[in-house]
Amino acid sequence: MERNEWREREGIYACWLCSCPDMGNRQMHLLSELCGGPEAAYFAGPKSWGRALTPEQVERLKIHTAGWKPKEEYHRMREAGTELVTVGDALYPRRLKEIPDAPYGLFFRGRLPEEGVPAVAVIGARECSEYGKYVARRLGEALGRNGMQLISGMARGIDGISQEAALEAGGYSAGVLGCGVDICYPARNKSLYERLRDRGAVLSSYPSGTPAYARNFPPRNRIVSGLADAVVVIEARARSGTLITVDMALEQGREVYVVPGRVTDRLSDGCNRLIRQGAGMLLSPEEFVEEIRMLWEREKDFQTRKPQAGSCRRASPEKTSEGGGFPRGKFPEKKIPEEKLPQELEPLCRVLDFTPKSIDEIRGALPRSYQDKPLSAWLMRLTMEGAAVQVSPGHFCLKG
Amino acid sequence: MFSTVFSGALQGVSAYLVSVEVDAARGLPVFSMVGSLSQEVRESRERVSVALKNVGIHLPPGHITVNLSPADRKKEGTAFDLPIAVGLLEALEIIPEGAGEGILFLGELGLNGELKMIRGVLPTVRAAAAQGIRQCIVPRANAREGAVIPGITVRGADSILEVMNFLTAGGKEREALLPAVFVDTAGLFEAAAGDSAEKPDFGDVVGQETARRAAEIAAAGFHNLLMVGPPGAGKSMIAKRIPGILPPLGLEESLEVTAVASVAGLLEEGETLVTERPYRSPHHTISQAALIGGSTVPKPGVISLAHRGVLFLDELPEFQRGALDALRGPLEERKVHISRMGGNVTYPSDFMLVCAMNPCPCGYYPDKNRCRCTENQVRRYMGRVSGPILDRIDLCVELQAVEYEKLKGSRREEGSEAIRLRVGKARELQRLRFRGTGYRFNGDIEACAIERYCSLGAEEQSCMERMYSVLQLSARAYHRILKVARTIADLDGAERIRREHLMEAAFYRPSLEYWGY
Repeated sequence: MERNEWREREGIYACWLCSCPDMGNRQMHLLSELCGGPEAAYFAGPKSWGRALTPEQVERLKIHTAGWKPKEEYHRMREAGTELVTVGDALYPRRLKEIPDAPYGLFFRGRLPEEGVPAVAVIGARECSEYGKYVARRLGEALGRNGMQLISGMARGIDGISQEAALEAGGYSAGVLGCGVDICYPARNKSLYERLRDRGAVLSSYPSGTPAYARNFPPRNRIVSGLADAVVVIEARARSGTLITVDMALEQGREVYVVPGRVTDRLSDGCNRLIRQGAGMLLSPEEFVEEIRMLWEREKDFQTRKPQAGSCRRASPEKTSEGGGFPRGKFPEKKIPEEKLPQELEPLCRVLDFTPKSIDEIRGALPRSYQDKPLSAWLMRLTMEGAAVQVSPGHFCLKG
Repeated sequence: MFSTVFSGALQGVSAYLVSVEVDAARGLPVFSMVGSLSQEVRESRERVSVALKNVGIHLPPGHITVNLSPADRKKEGTAFDLPIAVGLLEALEIIPEGAGEGILFLGELGLNGELKMIRGVLPTVRAAAAQGIRQCIVPRANAREGAVIPGITVRGADSILEVMNFLTAGGKEREALLPAVFVDTAGLFEAAAGDSAEKPDFGDVVGQETARRAAEIAAAGFHNLLMVGPPGAGKSMIAKRIPGILPPLGLEESLEVTAVASVAGLLEEGETLVTERPYRSPHHTISQAALIGGSTVPKPGVISLAHRGVLFLDELPEFQRGALDALRGPLEERKVHISRMGGNVTYPSDFMLVCAMNPCPCGYYPDKNRCRCTENQVRRYMGRVSGPILDRIDLCVELQAVEYEKLKGSRREEGSEAIRLRVGKARELQRLRFRGTGYRFNGDIEACAIERYCSLGAEEQSCMERMYSVLQLSARAYHRILKVARTIADLDGAERIRREHLMEAAFYRPSLEYWGY
């Protein structure tokens, strides 16, 4: 009881501290440390603040404090369903605490990821291809089914699709936002946002009401990788923001896995480059899940002996395969229920893949007997059976 | 003395009769003109008096009053010079009383007495014939234009002197002075069909089977078409060839087209009827007024000049948003109402809209390996084309850059002639289907009549149901697919719409989804 009371008092003033505009994460840490906790910081006054902050920031904090009623604001936040944990809190995610420059406070709705279960961050391009969509969906599904937690950014493309699939498969997923947790950005992911809130979590280091400023996203990305044990990259261009997250993940000592793409696919350039630099390769979801599980077990032993992050821990495939380790699976192929399709459409399915192809290309790849067939009508037939997608008026590809 | 002669004034593409009343009385020398006259009509006074002086007729000093009745309608144009001159000659008793009776006069006078070409002869002569007038005298340059109207004798004159002589002469001599002009309309159309060799031909379009097919369907059902593709794929080339595969203009259609051209002053000297389908391709910087019609005195805009023909908008997203949005009404109603200070007019605008655009700012979408545009950029580019315009497009087709292999090949593609034959057959089926209704083509079918003309069998019905949910169609898109499927079935010579027709129609559906909506 006393402990809860103490937590609440701590929360009230942490809420004040974390809601202060224009204050960096490091300064929040510093201020809290110098004064001895957020409550002490609140009552310490501008003179003590000046030891941690610049004079301009002190001015701004004075204005912020003058217009802030700590208890009311805190209760209003709680009533809206938002919670707050600070770095000193026992509930604060352990994985995140390990990382350099861990966020001082974390606002969230839903429930935080569990400590005793492996967590994987899935990241990738927002403008992804059908290939990326397919892989993301399969991976999210595998993680969800195997009880692993999926951390991502709830963005368009890879992020949202993988999270959607994980929830669909009954798993847990947390979305880290670059805005306040009361805002759904991007707005079109509204239904995903609601499901994450109810069955997983949405979290953010920014107070409620913060719009999605571009500058909020790099710190957001470090939380994504910070919450996870491993990071998987599905589709990234050569100079993609995703690669910044990868750098942060490496800095935090996280394992990085990459889904390879064709060398001619510009959307996979970033991924392939990472493989060249020595990142792990994800070849099938089952294999990956198995590998993470093995890593996790080993890590547990490792941690009991010597709690330290950042060393190279990837399970070496040669060793494990010799030892009859994880199965060497292939990535499952897209299956089209055969009974639905007439015989004549089968060659058409074989020509299609995840790269959009124009009608002319498709026609060119088909046997001669197909040259004067009504391809457009047939392709629409495939689309209607859910096997293909008409990505533009004249391009088709397999549905991802 | 007092005299009255007939003339006519334009109101949109129609016209009404104006009686020109002239009174010459003794008194102080005054020449006054009344009857809601615009500047150029008022100037007629100087032209008439100088022209008459220059052909040797001196106006005696006196009080001359001219009234153009009905006096409450605004009169414009220069066609009143001749009737005013004739009325004046009659009032001054220089030509016999009643010499100009029952004759419609139109024409602008030069200071030397010659008669110059004017605008809007065809609609005016047409209105006069409908009012029971049996003869008219117009400038020679306009005579053939007026002569296509049956039931009225049209004479062309070169100068006011010729008209005077004609009116003074009596009986049989008259006929020889200004012979009636005849035009063989049937011959005109035959001649027009004959010289199709010089028109651009579909045989020049290399490859692009899908786009050719879409153009054929669009032409057969008078559907609006959107072509999306990288620069140089042949979008404008195809657009330019669409009028050539449309069936030739009929007489009634031709009269409508000629009337608009005549009102806009676009007919050439001595031209009779426009026998070719109009093709208009305005530059994307065109203003709303130029596109729709307007200025203080409403003039027909490009959309009316494209009446019964093709309006091609290249680089669709570059057009001013206002101009494109203003197209919505005319596309729906097939005519355009313009209200300005100078009056309210209605111009016809039953055109086939053909548009072309790049898929994104860089031109390579949806090839994501080459296209560097973000989804938002693509969406913004598409967003410049308003949804309501896309909503009125029936067919959307994508073109690919032409491969070198195809360019160098000497294979001649199917020419316009063969396509026109198929289109003609489909048109004939539609003519029979819509006999006695207001519709002419499948593209005209309104939502309320879809059920009647595009009925489906049980299998097709279930196919459409599935399509509706899988493709997430809107009600409008659903109707569009049915209309286009009807045309595809017509091209196929099929009485009923079959599943493959629906599938093909769905393939061409314009969808906002492509552009990430």
